[in-house]
Parts: sequence; C-alpha cells; structure tokens
Amino acid sequence: MRFLVPLLLVACQHSDVSRELGARCLDSTECDDRCLGPNSDWPGGFCTIRCEQDYDCPEGVCIDEEGGVCAFSCAADTACTFLGPGYHCIERDARGGVTKRMVCRGG
Amino acid sequence: MSRRLILAVLVAAGGVAQADDSERPKAEPSDQIIGVSLGLAIGGRLTPGGVRIAGSYHYQLSDNDWFDGRASFTFGSGAPACFRDRIDNVICDHGMIDGDGVEISANVRRFFGRGEYTPFARLGIGAGLVYFGGDRVSGIAFPLHAGGGLRIALTHLLALMAEAELEVGVGVFNRDIGAQPQVGASIAAGVEFNL
Repeated sequence: MRFLVPLLLVACQHSDVSRELGARCLDSTECDDRCLGPNSDWPGGFCTIRCEQDYDCPEGVCIDEEGGVCAFSCAADTACTFLGPGYHCIERDARGGVTKRMVCRGG
Repeated sequence: MSRRLILAVLVAAGGVAQADDSERPKAEPSDQIIGVSLGLAIGGRLTPGGVRIAGSYHYQLSDNDWFDGRASFTFGSGAPACFRDRIDNVICDHGMIDGDGVEISANVRRFFGRGEYTPFARLGIGAGLVYFGGDRVSGIAFPLHAGGGLRIALTHLLALMAEAELEVGVGVFNRDIGAQPQVGASIAAGVEFNL
C-alpha cells in the first residue's frame, strides 16, 4: 500500500506548461509546433505555436515576434516565476493589431 | 478388398471420434482450450491503448478453474505527447489509444456454472514491453489483470467469448521518467477451441 500511494500521486501530476505552450525545448521536435530559443530571450527554450490573433492561442496571447507566436500573458513578474529564472513580464506588440500585450519572456 | 478395409477403418475412426465428441456436453469446456481475441484497449499517459490482439492457452486446474496463459499485442497511435516541464521533468500525456505494447500474462479463469452461456472471472499478472514511438519512450510494465466475461458454446469444439477487464500496475521507463503507474481497461471478443 505504501508503494501505491506515491504512484497514484504521480498519476495525478499536472503541469502548467505543455507541448503546445511553455514546455522546455532544444528544437521543434520537442513541441507540437515550434521551439523558441533556447537563448536569453527564451531561457531554457519555449514551446509555442504560430498565431495571427489571440484566439489562435490555446492559452495566453499572440505577440508580434517570429512572425506571430503565442506567449503567456501576465500582469507582473511574479506571474512568470513558474517558467523559471530569466522570465519577466514584458510589454510586446500584439500580433494583428496596434495594441500592446504584457507577456512572460526573457531579456 | 484393401480399399474396403481402408474405408472401414476410416468409418470406424470417425465413429470413435464422433462418440468421444458427443460424450462431452455441448457447453462443457475441455481440459485444454486455445483462443484468439480481438479488442480495444484503453490506456493513457504511459499505459498503451489501441487495437489489442491476443492468443491464449487454457489448462484445467480444478472443476471450475482454468489456467489462462496469454500473449497480447497492442497497437496504438505513435503521436508524440511527452514534453519537458520547466524544471526539466519529462511528462507524458498520451491519449487513450496511443502507444504499442506486447505482454505475456498468467491468469486464472473461473467459470461460474456450466451452460451454453457461462460467465467467468479472470485474475492474473503480466509482464510486458511498452513503446511510445513518437517520444522514443520505452519501458517494462507489470500489470495486474482483473476481468470477467461470458463464454458462449456454439458446438462441442467451438465457443465464442466476450470479456472486459481492468489492469493496474507499474511500469519503469527510460528518459529519466522512472516508475509510473499503469492503468487501463479493455474489451475483447474472440473464439475458443476445445482441444
């Protein structure tokens, strides 16, 4: 029984990131679509998907980088800590519009 | 003359075989049975699911219990579903019909009564290999099986079988994934032959 409890806990594990958005990566084979970085802009690498509008993104918003990619939206740096060291809440141009977006990003 | 003799021997042999076969009630499973089945396995995460083909051999242990040894092959999708989270743990979130597996298992099948329609229960333990091609994840799994079904005797030699089962166990995987639970279910239908 003591053996089963940790296994059941592992079975229920949950991640804030996914192959679509936010997983660490070295190249696009680790992601559903594409991998940004790894570099100082996207520390550890960042799985994302191409987008033209916010509604193209399963989570987060669409920013005008790399031809349009999804990123996690935020209001302050504390909202980006789950992505690890090097991520901050930074203002970027929205894709497909003239507005700005606050997103988690390195740099 | 010799042609008549051969014919007589064949008829006699056929009569003996017929007599042996008819002595057994139609619904009675023999002391040895072989079977083959086709079904659908439902997995998820690191438990493979998909089309499952199995072959089985049954040997009578007591009035109601048969040893049930089987080999099964599961064929699911190879779509990748693993990723590295932000602290570099590999997490796999495969769907219900992803992955491939091969397993051998030792079970005990208990029949409840005798009749044309005979329900049964099955308990067993298996060992197998699991492979998720799209993620290059493979491992060794040790599932426990618990299920039940119905055997429908068609002739003295042939029966249909339908069953459902649950499997729970543990698997050990590469890519630093380590030990992970195996949780699945399956349904299958097949034919069985009395030997």
